Amino acid sequence: MSDSRQPNVSQAGQHRAGQELVIEHLAAGYGKVQVLWDVNVRVGPGEFVAMIGANGAGKTTTLRAVSGVVKPTGGHIRLGGHDITRAAPSEVVALGLGHVPEGRELFAMMSVRENLELGAAMRPAARAAQQHTLEQVYTLFPRLQERSKQLAGTLSGGEQQMVAVGRALMGLPSVLVVDEPSLGLSPLMTQTVFEALKAVNAEGVSVLLVEQNVGLSLRLAHRAYVLENGQVVKEGTGEALLADPGVRAAYLAL
Amino acid sequence: MDLFLQTLLNGLLQSGIYALVASGLALSVGVVGIVNFAHGEFLMIGAFLAWAASASLGLDPLLSLPVVALAVFGVGALTYRVSIRHVLLAPELNQMLLTFGLGILLQNLALMLLGGNTRTVSTPYQASSLQLGELTVGGPKAVAFAFAVALLAGLYFVLYRTTLGRQMRAVAQNRRGAQLIGINVDRVYLLAFAASCGLAAVAGVLVSVLLFASPTVGLVFALKAFAIIVMAGLGNLTGVLWASVLLGVSEALVQTYVPGGGGWSDAVFFLMIFGTLVLRSFRGSR
Ligand SMILES: Nc1ncnc2c1ncn2[C@@H]1O[C@H](COP(=O)(O)OP(=O)(O)OP(=O)(O)O)[C@@H](O)[C@H]1O
Ligand SMILES: [Mg+2]
Repeated sequence: MSDSRQPNVSQAGQHRAGQELVIEHLAAGYGKVQVLWDVNVRVGPGEFVAMIGANGAGKTTTLRAVSGVVKPTGGHIRLGGHDITRAAPSEVVALGLGHVPEGRELFAMMSVRENLELGAAMRPAARAAQQHTLEQVYTLFPRLQERSKQLAGTLSGGEQQMVAVGRALMGLPSVLVVDEPSLGLSPLMTQTVFEALKAVNAEGVSVLLVEQNVGLSLRLAHRAYVLENGQVVKEGTGEALLADPGVRAAYLAL
Repeated sequence: MDLFLQTLLNGLLQSGIYALVASGLALSVGVVGIVNFAHGEFLMIGAFLAWAASASLGLDPLLSLPVVALAVFGVGALTYRVSIRHVLLAPELNQMLLTFGLGILLQNLALMLLGGNTRTVSTPYQASSLQLGELTVGGPKAVAFAFAVALLAGLYFVLYRTTLGRQMRAVAQNRRGAQLIGINVDRVYLLAFAASCGLAAVAGVLVSVLLFASPTVGLVFALKAFAIIVMAGLGNLTGVLWASVLLGVSEALVQTYVPGGGGWSDAVFFLMIFGTLVLRSFRGSR
């Protein structure tokens, strides 16, 4: 995003303290099928961390466990100072987590604006700041302002992804987890969404990004983790992993 | 011409109560995702409570209505907690068996406690009627329609203008998305199911004025409500209003213009389900 917005943001006093997200020895699954065996991830306050891994590695499951949708069978998850290992999704949101889910999960029969407003509805602080945050989201994605009255279900895939990101931002999260935002998006649209995430992170929000677009996300992230079969097998700075022969062979087909 | 207008008016008046029953059912189907086959029995409870208040305390059903609504709201909340909640993830057939069984249980309880007779409620406006130019409206019908419209207005205000209503629509449209933005889905389910039962009971109170209370009085209303939500499209809350008017008016037209139509009018809802499903399969949409 252009730097001209940064002064605006600090003027508004919206620089938010990102919180720390810590996932330790996480184990989880669906029914009798265990999917995660030992996931260890740390996102420091204000950090931008990527998680990459093949289809079915357990990336989405990890994020669902953070949100409290999937109940962990072992390990711990902490958000800021709070243990959220067994917390309900509504409690996790109240503590400051924003989740941009795989598949977007929008309210298809509601307008763009209603979708965004609902993102702020469940946190009193976010509700109080709703108008202001809405303007910020519109600045981030001018397209959404043009389409504010359109039903979310009739938007293009890229526009829907913008709504999903915007809806999560409306809750004023201190930690944002994002699940494969580039899925089905053109390179240009992907660029737009990624730059928005970068801008959000620049405002202080901690970001955990799950991606198949490995090149782009490793370049964007401060640090990254590689997940294989429900285990973290590698971690390092974005540059280090980009240079790693194993990562290049497996995920960049180089 | 007057006969035609009178017929339309009769149909419209009847549709108020249909919309009340059907919008309650639409809440449990659309928001909670439960096809409640006991919906008619909650209506029956409302009708009996109104009759009981009238017979023992001399209370006009329209005065006992708020208390009956609250009481059955509570019964609905309890029903959700002890039963519905535990089958939300179960196969649909199990859910249907549960609500079907609940309906039979409630019907038989009513039969045991009160017997199979119909109980009528007498009100001062029972025999009264309103004259609108050439058109005549029975007092009870007018009163019931006015109440139904007021209650529906309240319901749709809550659904479309309040935070709770927005939450309900959000859960109806995307349960997972609702959960991830921090909506307490279990709480929304509880409130939606309880409200659904409360609405059925309120309709029951009006039915006690229009017709009578009996253990099986809810059945035909529940069946028609199913027809209406099928017509409206499952989970479509606004469509319910139009579908109710369509059913009410069609029934009235059949009553007036088809020879021996009184008997046929109760089959109209079935034709409508049939017609809707055939039409949809032709259009290839759901
Ligand atoms: N609801 C579910 N019930 C049962 N198994 C599931 C469920 N969701 C995911 N799984 C299984 O868990 C494993 C991990 O899935 P997950 O969605 O976490 O992978 P992922 O890393 O996000 O993959 P992708 O890159 O394809 O999105 C897969 O084998 C998948 O089949
Ligand atoms: Mg995934």
